[in-house]
Amino acid sequence: MSDFWSILNARARMFYASVRSLSAVRTASFVFVIACFVGGAYYVFFRVFGYLTTVEVIGPALLDRVIEMALFVFFIMLLFSNVITSFSTFYNNRELDFLFSLPVPPTSIYLTKLLENCLYASWATLTIAFPLIVAYGVTTGAPTLFYPLSIVSILVYMVIPAAVASTLIALILRVFPKLGPREVIMISLALILGLTYLYVRINNPNLLKIFETENEQTLLLFAAQLTTVGGIYVPSTWLSNIIKGFNGNTAVTVFNFLLLLFVSASSVSVAFLVAKTFYARSWLSSGEHTSKASKRRSLLWNPQRQTARAIFFKDLLTFVREPTQWVQLSIFLILLVVYVMSLRRTPIFFTFPLWRTVVAFANFAYISFVLATLGVRFIFPTMSLERAGIWAIVSSPLPFRKILLTKYFFSLTTAVIIIEFLLISANLFIKVERGLYLVMPVIGLFVAAALVSINLGFGSRFPHFSEDNPSRIAAGTGGIIAALISITYVAISILLLATPAYNYLSHTFMARPVNYLLVYAGFALFLAVSICAIFIPLRIGITSLERRDY
Amino acid sequence: MSRLVVKNLKKKFNSVWALRGLNLILEPGEIFVLLGPNGAGKTTTLKLITGLLRPTEGEILIEGADLRKDPIKAKSHIGYVPDEPFIYNKLTGREFINFVASIYKVSRADYETRLAGLLKTFDIGEWVDELSESYSHGMKQRVIMCQLLLHNPELILIDEPLVGLDPKTSKTVRELFIKLKEEGKTLFVSTHTLSFAREVATKIGIISQGELKFIGDIDELSRISGKKDIEDIYLRLSGEDGDV
Repeated sequence: MSDFWSILNARARMFYASVRSLSAVRTASFVFVIACFVGGAYYVFFRVFGYLTTVEVIGPALLDRVIEMALFVFFIMLLFSNVITSFSTFYNNRELDFLFSLPVPPTSIYLTKLLENCLYASWATLTIAFPLIVAYGVTTGAPTLFYPLSIVSILVYMVIPAAVASTLIALILRVFPKLGPREVIMISLALILGLTYLYVRINNPNLLKIFETENEQTLLLFAAQLTTVGGIYVPSTWLSNIIKGFNGNTAVTVFNFLLLLFVSASSVSVAFLVAKTFYARSWLSSGEHTSKASKRRSLLWNPQRQTARAIFFKDLLTFVREPTQWVQLSIFLILLVVYVMSLRRTPIFFTFPLWRTVVAFANFAYISFVLATLGVRFIFPTMSLERAGIWAIVSSPLPFRKILLTKYFFSLTTAVIIIEFLLISANLFIKVERGLYLVMPVIGLFVAAALVSINLGFGSRFPHFSEDNPSRIAAGTGGIIAALISITYVAISILLLATPAYNYLSHTFMARPVNYLLVYAGFALFLAVSICAIFIPLRIGITSLERRDY
Repeated sequence: MSRLVVKNLKKKFNSVWALRGLNLILEPGEIFVLLGPNGAGKTTTLKLITGLLRPTEGEILIEGADLRKDPIKAKSHIGYVPDEPFIYNKLTGREFINFVASIYKVSRADYETRLAGLLKTFDIGEWVDELSESYSHGMKQRVIMCQLLLHNPELILIDEPLVGLDPKTSKTVRELFIKLKEEGKTLFVSTHTLSFAREVATKIGIISQGELKFIGDIDELSRISGKKDIEDIYLRLSGEDGDV
């Protein structure tokens, strides 16, 4: 075990050194963004929980179901994110070459990587879980002990998906040693999805009927009548029992905490045993995997007549051949499609034209925020991912302007397809007024153009050439600054467009006169802000690339 | 017109001077080998000439084009091989070669005539169609050499050309450098391999602590240092003989 502590000590020192190297401005920006996010999430949860407690008869039960549902979803999300990051952490990592060359048992390496993967895959979920639980505690008037014990429980809870994911991947690699990362991740995700579906279907079939409810009242009654959302065999239920038990049932809290602790320790023990038996061999066999690109299918088989096309194909190939990239994008897109489909299957509120318009506007805001998130995760790291080949580009007669603009149009095309698909299909399902069918896609174009520019520009201003994991690049201070600016841009845009939207609504549904000055001013300011958000970040990015040492 | 003119080139990283006023002129058909201990400023010099670093002071002219004022024109004359042969992991060797050929706008005819010969010269087999993440250091080095010569640059800058290469490929590289020199190309090579310098260099520079201590051919260096063996010359002129 002393090896484990030595490796862990080295990691802790590296982390401490990287934190110390941050400037005060960067640290302040980071703290500000996290505080805003956590504070905002807490506010939303607090308001929602407050509303639920006011619902007569079924309110408290409904609140419990929401917590159970949220923790169940977190569990599935944690499993997904642990699977996605596991392969690169445990098998496809340059540091492992060094670690395996040391006289250190593979289990020590495995435990260090398990801890690293667990923290790395879970921190985003934690930032949502933390305000959720605090809001629940404040709403229900939980005792002080509730807060530290809940946080400890969450930490114990997040170990389980990390151990399960690493065990699953180790077993798959043991059974199919010749599989590449793409196949391993796909099989793992398919297994998790399939087992989750089967489990829910057998254990709690009512949960799958959620999209078939007709109106709000039915939905509320349905949710209240559900027994335990995840069923008694999943850790999310035990965690929710710990949290709920504070309201007078200490025995339930203690029992479920011990159960969670036992299962968590057991899952780590099983993972440890699997690692002891297979890890070193699996790591060796994963290094023997070679991917042969098809001559016929390769887009870069011949040199391109246009350099822009060459950069485009190179970016496309490196993206589709990196499983962590397209798997995460696919998950995002599937969730978005489910969201849009839910607009069709859940016609709550949509009876009145006024509400339809309000929902359409809220939907636009939501989609813009989602696009901002996607931009930080997938567009911000684009320039940093030139890492390996940056010498070839910088020493070539290729202007940075051309490189950045090529990447810009590549990302913009993808962003426009996503936002327009989501806006148009959602508006069709919501059945908005005719004018909005035309206006929203045009606004969507500007939003997409601005968000892509912000993320690409700041990704070039704060590149991270020493990191090859795009998620880690996006999670850096530069990524957080880009996220902050993206969210601010979306918020300002929504505020500016709210004036024309309000005028439109009051004119259409309340027959009030239109204040054209305010309408035009709203649109003009939105255009001005968008144009600035399109050109300024790109200019910053190009200048930064030109003035940088490589 | 000289192929490369470097005037009073300086580079400072934070408060540390990595290069303190380098002056150099290279003509067509020269192989200039820059020798020096670790941290002497060899890689910094090469990176400054390729545009990977921005000079703190000084001027670099490549075929008369100022690298700072007209970087695109200046860079169109150069080819560079870094000390660490990084290639995009998710591209095959061939895709990487084709990508660079596209950037340098290599014509279809040139591409087809040159590529087959280069693949043969560097003994690049079917592995060129595997993703480069599985390549060894030497394999990557060979692919990079191949892409370099495909676009046929006039000024070739190579940082540690022999690291990771097997004896057969090392010999090929030495012979190739001499052939390129005879074709009128200019090579600027940074290396630790003294035998390589003795074998191919028409001009040798010795750099230490960011300053070019001596420059000349092997005979001049031998005369100045009073030593005949290249190792002794190097140790004497780089100021490292006291440590031996």
